[in-house]
Amino acid sequence: MKALILAAGRGTRVQPLTHTIPKPMIPIFNRPVMEFLIDLLASHGVRSIMINTSYLASEIESYFRDGSRFGVEIGYSFEGQLKDGQMIDEPVGSAGAIRRIQDHSGFFNEPFFVLCGDAIIDLDLTTLAAFHKERGAVASLAALPVPADQVSSYGIVVAGPDGRVEGFQEKPSQTEARSNLANTGIYLFQPEVMEMIPSGVSYDIGSQLFPQLVERGLPFYASQQPFRWLDIGRLSDYYSVLRMTMTGGLPGFTPPGTEILPGVRVGPNVRFNPRACRLRPPVWIGASSTIEDGSALIGPCYIGPGSTVMSGAHVEESFVFEYTRVGRMAQLRNSIASGRFCIDRAGTTIDVAKADLDWILSDARSNAPSQFDLEPLMEEFLISR
Amino acid sequence: MALVTDTVNDVTVVTIPGEVLDASNTRILKEELAGVLSPGAKLVFDLSQLRFVDSSGLGLMLSSLRQVHNTGGDLKLCGMTKPVRALFELVRMNRVFEIYATRDEAENSYAASRRAQP
Repeated sequence: MKALILAAGRGTRVQPLTHTIPKPMIPIFNRPVMEFLIDLLASHGVRSIMINTSYLASEIESYFRDGSRFGVEIGYSFEGQLKDGQMIDEPVGSAGAIRRIQDHSGFFNEPFFVLCGDAIIDLDLTTLAAFHKERGAVASLAALPVPADQVSSYGIVVAGPDGRVEGFQEKPSQTEARSNLANTGIYLFQPEVMEMIPSGVSYDIGSQLFPQLVERGLPFYASQQPFRWLDIGRLSDYYSVLRMTMTGGLPGFTPPGTEILPGVRVGPNVRFNPRACRLRPPVWIGASSTIEDGSALIGPCYIGPGSTVMSGAHVEESFVFEYTRVGRMAQLRNSIASGRFCIDRAGTTIDVAKADLDWILSDARSNAPSQFDLEPLMEEFLISR
Repeated sequence: MALVTDTVNDVTVVTIPGEVLDASNTRILKEELAGVLSPGAKLVFDLSQLRFVDSSGLGLMLSSLRQVHNTGGDLKLCGMTKPVRALFELVRMNRVFEIYATRDEAENSYAASRRAQP
């Protein structure tokens, strides 16, 4: 079987993460979200994968390359153009992406999966394929029940008792909702659906292709097999996924590094004296990092490669991106931090440059910022109180 | 622009004006605050209008605290919005200042400490 992973979105709802990386490349520890999907596809025998790219395409293409490192073959469908040395994004929509590839080569000549590149799932794709085949479906989607009071956050699928899709409701209110089945953005199509996607225009699966399938009465089914769906739709979702990963809740994920003490894993070339720091496992420290004596790492926490945690800094239940300098006065709690931003578990974001906070967070590759004038005064107060 | 202040008993509540306190307006605010930062003053800064504070804004609050502290007074904060609260926690200033959810709670904390004194 074949697959398309949708990776052309701008990820505007999870800014500032997506200023420099596209959403599918958002890291879970040392691995981008999309790598989990490629592993999943490979484990179900899907070897031929297309990825449509547009926004920050080269970030994706230079990481996954031809896919051989992941045991699959990967091709890219770049939606945009190079103009005066600048990459211009020209995304064509999720269904448009399928059509564009088909027009190019007729790649989709057998049933194919379509997955969104920004969620971690453990769906049994083989079972979904069997469900699809048994019903003679032209299209199937994986639906999951969500709590009734959360339907307004999802695209809702209305299906009959046999799973046949009868309609959709986009983020309905709790009273309007005719179902509590969420569309998870995981689909399986027969090549015949191509006839319903116009060439050369932007076209969407959820709002344009699916209504046509329903209207024409084509065999279109919603599978309700249970699975884990970790969608990174909002910044707070990202914190939850990281937290879950740090506490061992992500199946099949092997944490990086060498265990030097129970629950303390470090990469190569790390400067760190565990006895000189306040430490509560589990803690991960990426390669080439410096953990200065007198800092506190209260797990679960992750320090990305090339980072410096300065003496006095407090990092607790937090995820620190690569090349981050965490200043002496910094107190990271339940946060995601980099040299450019700090996001707390609720999604509240602090822009480091805008708030002039380089004494708290900065890029570890830049010159160390001069001591903030008020640091000594703060220390005096911190001791007295 | 004159600061809005409200003195009940001997506690003065100052409403920090505007949504932004950064390098562009800390100097002006510092001048306006000069009058209320009197020796031994019992102050509350109401931050409920503020959505964004930068390092210079933090510096102004810290220097104000030092000024009243050195003369036996105190400065407490109330009404923090989420982004301001997140900033205070990040830079550890939540441990330097006494922070209350509401103006009443901040005012009452002075009354409580008054009662506690012999």
